[in-house]
Amino acid sequence: MLDLILCVDDDPITLMLCKKVISKASFSNTIITAKNGEEALEYFDSIINKGATKELPQLIFLDLNMPVMDGWEFLDNFNTDKYSEVNSTKIVVLSSTIDPEDHEKSKKYPMVIDFLSKPITSNMLTYLESKLQL
Amino acid sequence: MKNKTTQITTIYILIASILAVFLYKITSLYFKQEDQLIFNLFKDFILILLTGFAFRYILSKNERRNKTIFERLENTNNEIKESNQKYDIVSKATSDTIWDWKIQEDKMIWSKGIKAVFGYEEDQVGDSSSWWFGNIHPEDSIKMSIKLYSFIEQKTEKWQDEYRFKCADNTYKYVLDRGFLLKDENGKAVRMIGALQDVTKQKEEELRLKLLETVILQTKESIVITEATFNKKLLPKIIYTNPAFTQMTGYQANEIINNSLDILKGPNTELNVIKKIIQIIQNKEEGLLEIRCYKKDKTEFWLRFTMIPIYNSENELSHWVSIQRDVTEEKNQEKEKEQLIKELTQNNKDLKQFSYITSHNLRAPMSNLTGLLNLIEDIEIDDPELNEIINGFSKSTHLLNETIEDLTKVMIIKDNTSIEKEDISLKEVFENVFSQLSNQIEIIKPYLKLDIENVSVLNSNKAYMESILLNLLTNSLKYRSTDRTLKITIIANQNGNTVELIFKDNGIGIDLKRNKDKIFGLYQRFHDYPDSKGLGLYLVKSQVEAMKGTINIESQVNKGTTFTLTFKSK
Repeated sequence: MLDLILCVDDDPITLMLCKKVISKASFSNTIITAKNGEEALEYFDSIINKGATKELPQLIFLDLNMPVMDGWEFLDNFNTDKYSEVNSTKIVVLSSTIDPEDHEKSKKYPMVIDFLSKPITSNMLTYLESKLQL
Repeated sequence: MKNKTTQITTIYILIASILAVFLYKITSLYFKQEDQLIFNLFKDFILILLTGFAFRYILSKNERRNKTIFERLENTNNEIKESNQKYDIVSKATSDTIWDWKIQEDKMIWSKGIKAVFGYEEDQVGDSSSWWFGNIHPEDSIKMSIKLYSFIEQKTEKWQDEYRFKCADNTYKYVLDRGFLLKDENGKAVRMIGALQDVTKQKEEELRLKLLETVILQTKESIVITEATFNKKLLPKIIYTNPAFTQMTGYQANEIINNSLDILKGPNTELNVIKKIIQIIQNKEEGLLEIRCYKKDKTEFWLRFTMIPIYNSENELSHWVSIQRDVTEEKNQEKEKEQLIKELTQNNKDLKQFSYITSHNLRAPMSNLTGLLNLIEDIEIDDPELNEIINGFSKSTHLLNETIEDLTKVMIIKDNTSIEKEDISLKEVFENVFSQLSNQIEIIKPYLKLDIENVSVLNSNKAYMESILLNLLTNSLKYRSTDRTLKITIIANQNGNTVELIFKDNGIGIDLKRNKDKIFGLYQRFHDYPDSKGLGLYLVKSQVEAMKGTINIESQVNKGTTFTLTFKSK
């Protein structure tokens, strides 16, 4: 079981589903959420500022299509030196996109370990558990 | 001469006889018997001496005369020999064949050229004029005879004619025949001597040139020939234009010849193309260019033209030939086409973007619905009415989800024309498909016959192949007949480098007469079934075609349906 997971999505229902499915499957102790890429980055900024690496999430579920700052912009920022202390965090893209180009594009980011299609399910979590060797 | 000889001999006999009688008389009158013998001896001696001198005189005179005659003959002979030699040399040098025709006797002889040029052996050559006439091409012979006889009858002064003369190998050669007449003292033609010149090559060349000229005159392409010389201010001078050029530009040949090609220039003529033309001329190379030009009436048009340098026998540039065509319409169409392609590309791009966004926006709430339903499944509901409502809600959501997923698949297939292929095991694919449908198979219990051992490995896209077979099998299960046990036969065959998959059932079938054209169309439903979306066969066909395969259907209402799929195995 993971300690901390960050779910980034602008849709409250998706976030609600994530929380419920994750806690039901006992996939993680704590689930925190962010409404878009900017909020997610702010969270990491605060960790860096406080030096509180304990509060670092082990996994991020990242949506792509979000207002203010979308998933790509978040990845671009997260992949810079500024976040070198924290960007070892693994990311799973969780999206409704069917554009094959998105899939290809996501492979360019080293922290992205998978690209999954919504909705989040318990089967998906089982698969991730084995992938992360938990 | 003969008479003279007889004369001399007669005179000699007479004189000798008279002398003999006279001397006999003298002897018997004046000499004594004993002196007569000596006198006779003396007399005979004198006679022999006189005869001897006379003979000597005559013979020496004859000898002199003979010698003169012999010398004269020898000279004539030499002259004839020399003349013959000259004649041979001349006929060899001109490669003409000389003939000599004695008209009254109708005797004709031919020089050696008849063998060298026409291939006749000596024994094949006739000795009368009929052999000559017989070898003239039938189409030429009448015209030739008329001209020849009017010359022999001296109605015309000169004779020369062109006709085709047959060779020993039965082919014809074009000849130019020229002759002159020899007349007797009365002015009558007695002999004719002629020279036959082989002009086949010239004639063929002439015909070829005539043909080429026809091409130049008749062609729809404009042809312009210019001088080679050129100064930097003006393009080369025109020396020839064909009728097509007049047709294209409105300029008559006589008003444009001796003008520079600059006459076609106008306000929109591309200067960079003119520079290119000058460069081509300087480099003496070939070129193909397009430029805006102006007709005589100042109408603008697009000219596509080639430039070809022409060299003379000394390998010096002598002319430029330019083949030209008005391509205005082509250019306009090209422009329109480019514009259309641009618009279509943009439209396509927009539509693609739109469909991805639409798909995303549909899928996002859909996934939420599915997720929420998954959560509800774990909650126990006591109210039977609510349970029924949720059940209906769940079914509709799943159907909607499937539809969206199928549409998404179609969209991806249509967008990605090239797909990845790998060697897949047909058996494995079928096992996967059967396991996905295990619930239905368990309930319906169809009789399944699988004969796929002939093709163990297929180079294909696994996801597509599974989707195709899943769709076909689902259709068979869905559209089964309630009157009989469902029977599904699947056969795989390898035919050379193609693989054939036959998928046959005994279901309710499709009325192909009514639906032939739309069987694989989008949103086509052939049976009134609640969960039929009209997408399955469209998706199957799209996937088969994406893998460069083909699909055919045979079906009879209430008997069954057979699908035949073919794929290239490599």
